[in-house]
Amino acid sequence: MRALPGLLAARAPTPRLLLLLQCLLATARPSSADGSAPDLPFTSLPLREEMMANNFSWESHNISLTEHSSMPVEKNITLERPSNVNLTCQFTTSGDLNAVNVTWKKDSEQLENNYLVSATGSTLYTQYRFTIINSKQMGSYSCFFREEKEQRGTFNFKVPELHGKNKPLISYVGDSTVLTCKCQNCFPLNWTWYSTNGSIKVPVGVQMNKYVINGTYANETKLKITQLLEEDGGSYWCHALFQVGESEEHIELVVLSYLVPLKPFLAIVAEVVLLVAAILLCEKYTQKEKKHSDEGKEFEQTEQLKSDDSNGIENNVPRHRKNESLGQ
Amino acid sequence: MARRTEPPDGGWGWVVVLSAFFQSALVFGVLRSFGVFFVEFVAAFGEQAARVSWIASIGIAVQQFGSPVGSALSTKFGPRPVVMTGGILAALGMLLASFATSLTHLYLSIGLLSGSGWALTFAPTLACLSCYFSRRRSLATGLALTGVGLSSFAFAPFFQWLLSHYAWRGSLLLVSALSLHLVACGALLRPPSLAEDPAVGGPRAQLTSLLHHGPFLRYTVALTLINTGYFIPYLHLVAHLQDLDWDPLPAAFLLSVAAISDLVGRVVSGWLGDAVPGPVTRLLMLWTTLTGVSLALFPVARAPTALVALAVAYGFTSGALAPLAFSVLPELVGTKRIYCGLGLLQMIESIGGLLGPPLSGYLRDVTGNYTASFVVAGAFLLSGSGILLTLPDFFSCFSTTTSRPQDLVTEAPDIKVSLPKEGLEED
Repeated sequence: MRALPGLLAARAPTPRLLLLLQCLLATARPSSADGSAPDLPFTSLPLREEMMANNFSWESHNISLTEHSSMPVEKNITLERPSNVNLTCQFTTSGDLNAVNVTWKKDSEQLENNYLVSATGSTLYTQYRFTIINSKQMGSYSCFFREEKEQRGTFNFKVPELHGKNKPLISYVGDSTVLTCKCQNCFPLNWTWYSTNGSIKVPVGVQMNKYVINGTYANETKLKITQLLEEDGGSYWCHALFQVGESEEHIELVVLSYLVPLKPFLAIVAEVVLLVAAILLCEKYTQKEKKHSDEGKEFEQTEQLKSDDSNGIENNVPRHRKNESLGQ
Repeated sequence: MARRTEPPDGGWGWVVVLSAFFQSALVFGVLRSFGVFFVEFVAAFGEQAARVSWIASIGIAVQQFGSPVGSALSTKFGPRPVVMTGGILAALGMLLASFATSLTHLYLSIGLLSGSGWALTFAPTLACLSCYFSRRRSLATGLALTGVGLSSFAFAPFFQWLLSHYAWRGSLLLVSALSLHLVACGALLRPPSLAEDPAVGGPRAQLTSLLHHGPFLRYTVALTLINTGYFIPYLHLVAHLQDLDWDPLPAAFLLSVAAISDLVGRVVSGWLGDAVPGPVTRLLMLWTTLTGVSLALFPVARAPTALVALAVAYGFTSGALAPLAFSVLPELVGTKRIYCGLGLLQMIESIGGLLGPPLSGYLRDVTGNYTASFVVAGAFLLSGSGILLTLPDFFSCFSTTTSRPQDLVTEAPDIKVSLPKEGLEED
């Protein structure tokens, strides 16, 4: 997430106004909220030439540490344009502030100048200003407060991350598919796509309507591949170029042939056919049995009737009973 | 050889229940879980969501409007061949859809073809079920309809899994194979061995006699009104909850709670409908009134516990009225006209189902919240239950069993038979 530019950048386009504001804010208490300019008791402010001349935006960030901080405190900052950066660390301790050694490092290199140290009450403040112009100035900047233990605060500057799809994209031979890469709130200078042959990244050329690269918005890019073949499957990389660095993301494409879902389909169809055949045959079988038993009963019944008729009226009662039992 | 005049109320009837269970799962479960394919279609065809939604709408509309056709055909040929043909059509529609290259293909294959297939399966099956049961009809219908709820739960994640392995083309192919099981279910629908009526009169004659049947018409109006209000919570409850500042996940959870109590309600009401003596119409009115009341109370409830309680109540009562709505029909029109009646009923009540949600959405747009929508939905339900009061046998003390031999003879329109209750309405 992009950090908001500090209050200083928003309100003070000229250096003189900046100095005035700093004096006004001199007595205010500092806050450790993200993004808002800490009100620091720095009365004098050396501004370097390039910071006065350029019209880059300002990024201000702050980290608070105490002597009891057990874990190193880190802050991740996303940056895509050249900016002037203002980093502040504050350290609260109950011990002697003069005995604390303050240093700044970029990655593992110690930084020699351009940082200020000041103290108020039981809190030590240090501020480091610099400009990020290209990818060389991106990285991790750390402030160190050494008493007996060393307390460390780190600001990590990164280019915006790209989002593709976590799951592989599945498509079929002869179909067309669209690979999308996007990032939140970013405007890259350039987008490029690469496909991998083994472990070599080969840029995707716009050849003969097979590949079409376009994007509706500046923060996304779409690669449309038509007339897919099985060889088109594999890893694709989308690459975003910023002034302050590069970012890339990996998308997996899987191209299946129609036989892949066809096999389970045919298996299920065969199962249904078997099921229907079994049900119908079962029914025919039970009906045949019923017919035979019914025919047998009917035969008996007609035989009885014939014999009863010939026997006369005395057999009316048993005939009725027999009819009833057959009719149930 | 004498045959039964009473429905068997068991035996092969339970196999028909099983078949109906799987059929309602395969028809409505697939329809309800189609939302999973929705996202894929939007991405694959680059079309807007509204246009893609038409696929399911056409399918549902064709299924409901085509019900009379299914019923008419099953009166003529019996339920088995009709349902088996329906299963083949439904599977064929999905099969052709897997080769689609544009949205229009999907409208025609899934919407029209599969929709007609579904139309030929559902109404004949339920009617066949009513032929097999009289005393335990409500329970049988309730059990059969639980297939809808269970499959909605199971099919959504299953379809998602299919999509992640086979993409939408392969998944449609496999759903087509799944739908082919409708043919197997149709094979189970043995026509019951009731006494054959020689002069059934054909579907057209039945249709005309039904359209002149006062209680049937009133029942249709009642069910149409009920149908108008019935679906509104399933569509708009989540939106209403989000208006009340609920997060999407708890809101969806509330809908699941309602769905579970819907399932329980179906079975309980089915059992109750058969266990309690007296006409089923009374129970139907009870459940409908309670559903209407719980709907109307929705806008009043603010506290989460009250909303959960109302969701459970709505789910239970709306599930409870579903099997009874189908059970009342045989008591009104007789077992032989059941196919025709069910189809006609479905077709007319679908008008309510089509108009209700847009009306509710319109009220929301005009008034700014869902209060009016829910109250109007409740009002529709209550008015529908009011009309149920006018049905015959409502105030009698004993239920009318449909297996009266007199019913079977009244179908031929030129025979005038005066029956104690229904004779006056016969043509």
